Amino acid sequence: MTPPSARARAPQPPLLRISPEVALGAIGVGALAVIALWWKDTIFISGWGDWLTNAGRITGLLAGYAVIVLLALMARVPALERGVGTDRLVRWHAAGGRYTVCLAVAHTLLIIWGYAVTAHSGLVHETGSLLTTYPDVMMGTVAVGLLVLVGIVSARAARRRLSYETWHFVHLYTYLAIALAFSHQFSTGADFINRAQARWLWSLMYIAVAALLVWYRLLAPLRSALRHRLHVVEVRQENADTVSVYVSGLRIDELRAEPGQFFRWRFLTRDLWWAANPYSLSAAPRPDLLRVTVKITGSHSAALRHLAPGTKVLAEGPYGSFTAARRTRRKVLLIAGGVGITPLRALFETLPGRPGDITLLYRVNRPEDLVLATELDAIAAQRRARVHYLVGPPKFDGSDHLSPRRLQRLVPGLAQHDVYVCGPEPMMNAARTSLRTSGVPRRNIHDESFTF
Amino acid sequence: MKRVLLSVTGTVVGLVALLNFKTHGHPIAAGTLPSAGLPNASSTSPAQAGTSTSAPPRAGTSSRSSTPAASAARTIAGSAVETRYGVVQVQVSVRGTKITNVQFLQLTAFDQRSAEINSAAAPILLQETLSAQSAHIDTVSGASYTSDGYAQSLQSALDQVGIK
Amino acid sequence: MGTVFSFDVRTPGFDTTVLDDAVDILQDIDARFSTFRDDSEVSRLAAGTLRISECSEDVQWVLRRCAELTAETDGYFSAYAGGALDPSGLVKGWAIEQASDLLCMAGSTSHCVNGGGDVQCVGWAGPDTPWRVGVSHPLRRGELATVVTGTDLAVATSGSAERGAHVVDPHTRRAPGALASVTLIGRHLSDVDAYATAAFAMDDAARGWLESLDGFRAFVVQADGATWSTGF
Repeated sequence: MTPPSARARAPQPPLLRISPEVALGAIGVGALAVIALWWKDTIFISGWGDWLTNAGRITGLLAGYAVIVLLALMARVPALERGVGTDRLVRWHAAGGRYTVCLAVAHTLLIIWGYAVTAHSGLVHETGSLLTTYPDVMMGTVAVGLLVLVGIVSARAARRRLSYETWHFVHLYTYLAIALAFSHQFSTGADFINRAQARWLWSLMYIAVAALLVWYRLLAPLRSALRHRLHVVEVRQENADTVSVYVSGLRIDELRAEPGQFFRWRFLTRDLWWAANPYSLSAAPRPDLLRVTVKITGSHSAALRHLAPGTKVLAEGPYGSFTAARRTRRKVLLIAGGVGITPLRALFETLPGRPGDITLLYRVNRPEDLVLATELDAIAAQRRARVHYLVGPPKFDGSDHLSPRRLQRLVPGLAQHDVYVCGPEPMMNAARTSLRTSGVPRRNIHDESFTF
Repeated sequence: MKRVLLSVTGTVVGLVALLNFKTHGHPIAAGTLPSAGLPNASSTSPAQAGTSTSAPPRAGTSSRSSTPAASAARTIAGSAVETRYGVVQVQVSVRGTKITNVQFLQLTAFDQRSAEINSAAAPILLQETLSAQSAHIDTVSGASYTSDGYAQSLQSALDQVGIK
Repeated sequence: MGTVFSFDVRTPGFDTTVLDDAVDILQDIDARFSTFRDDSEVSRLAAGTLRISECSEDVQWVLRRCAELTAETDGYFSAYAGGALDPSGLVKGWAIEQASDLLCMAGSTSHCVNGGGDVQCVGWAGPDTPWRVGVSHPLRRGELATVVTGTDLAVATSGSAERGAHVVDPHTRRAPGALASVTLIGRHLSDVDAYATAAFAMDDAARGWLESLDGFRAFVVQADGATWSTGF
């Protein structure tokens, strides 16, 4: 089965994309609104005890808001996935998560201290009093403890030692923490007691994000599975350690997958059903066919070789912002490293361009690592695009193949290109540095990390 | 690391700025009382025939600060606010930038908190003091005295001190 | 009542015109409860020219409370101790508490009201400084028997010192003799005042009863000069 060339599709309504700037702006506006809630409620404060207590109130409000933002980022909302990009959402979530845990801890300590100062009592006594006499504070304390635990387990040092499953399991406790902490916000939060309107709005915010989560992570995938009935039609070995899987189903064009995007694939066999792994489409999606090309790195990917045709597949997505939407210039350079060729192969096939506009650099360590080379050559010939294979062991710092001089020689007019980069992290770093040195503005370099 | 420092400093600076906006120069909270200018008023109630006074004279210094009337005085009523002690609604009188008077329109105690604060200092009996001068007491409890006895009472001495 | 009231308000910026209202309350209570005025409700009740149901709510409340206190103190507190109706053992403390409550409602968080030796303190006297209430010595004029410190406290002293023997034991209709003064310390002056009166009337039996009182502390000066306390 030869991969098809891009075909004109019937015009569809434009896809909604929320750009990173808009998303950050919305988050910022929300934070300001939350602070305004405190501002409106506070007439005056004086004295050290008041300062501490109010600092505790502000950090508490922000923490309660931040957890909702973090959940929203991970809700797999298509507009965010397409606009901000999955990898960036994950980075925001990780950084934001660290900050939120700190906010929650700061809130706890400031409130204890502030109350102790105002009541002229000792810290220990005040802690005891808060835990035992104030409603729901005990649950809130358990919540902050859970958050700290999740924070510790998510630290890079810990993650290296833990299996993904263990980390993921502990991470799910954040849901429990949020649920436990919710009630104390209303029963002891100074900005919510006696303020029905504030409580309504706050609850609405939580309900809205919960709805997003339920819809996009549970119901929509279920609906998609029933509607598209994806299944394996063929498995092809591309080289010693790479395999392509062809998946077919009904009404695939309704998924509105774009070249460059990926799905989270769950192959329903006895060994593979429990994992949903992200693999990019390695060819333009056809109304009845999708293809992914996977490098074998572990037992899961190895098992893909033996998938029987007809095996049912659940595909969540499409996700990712590594698409033609990011392009702003006429000339485009695609730089692929190793398995990073997969999304770029799809883009190479479909990115609009006149002869000479599109260039692909494919960097691998050994000749046998090349995959889909015949397709790439065919596409290059047909579109009169250029493809260069940069084969060879990595030099001392891995950058010589992608040094600025080499890039400029291979790609005339480099500084006027839009560049899409995809590959292992060190290779991407080297490529980015060379591109910047060669005068490509940062906003014209588009990348997607696989390892998020 | 740089980003961590930036976010921590940014948060702290933001908090301090917000709190500072809301802090007025005139502290008004239990437990932060200036020692100078304490208002101390004593009053007599009309006694039975013999020593009655028609209108209770009120001697005492007022602690209101007298600023020159450079700017117009305004009264600002705040909305009801949940504070440490319960729901408080405050009416603030301002002249220029100085707060000249604060009136609490609403003050309802929150059982938990005010109970906790109120039980802060249990009564303590001081065995060692016997002389009124050295005891630095604020008031005197004793078996009832009439207005005749008042003049010679310790309480009257205390009230005199306040009046000065 | 012939009582002198002293107000010591430490809340900064407090509107001292509120004290006028506090004095009004005291005058109003005097008008309705004073046994020295023939036209007061209590006097007319005692004389039989007014029925209880026709009295104001406050008077009815006070009389009900007196009945409760009589039960609580085994009869040692009684509104009929001297024979005729005289609830002043409760009224004085209660009146001071009302005046203090008015100050609180007007926003005071720190004040002390002293009416004829019965004291109701609210809040703290100063930053980190509790109120200091001296107790005058019943046997040595001009001296203090002790000093009690605390916040939000009420102090009432019952004794025979200044006015002569005006407290009588309702059971014997005679003045008690073993104790010189009983000082009770608690939260609310209305209770504290009544209990102090009852304890003083109990004489020798006071100690046992005071020790069984929860939430109240007592300091007693005996007629022979010895002192003891309970609850501290």
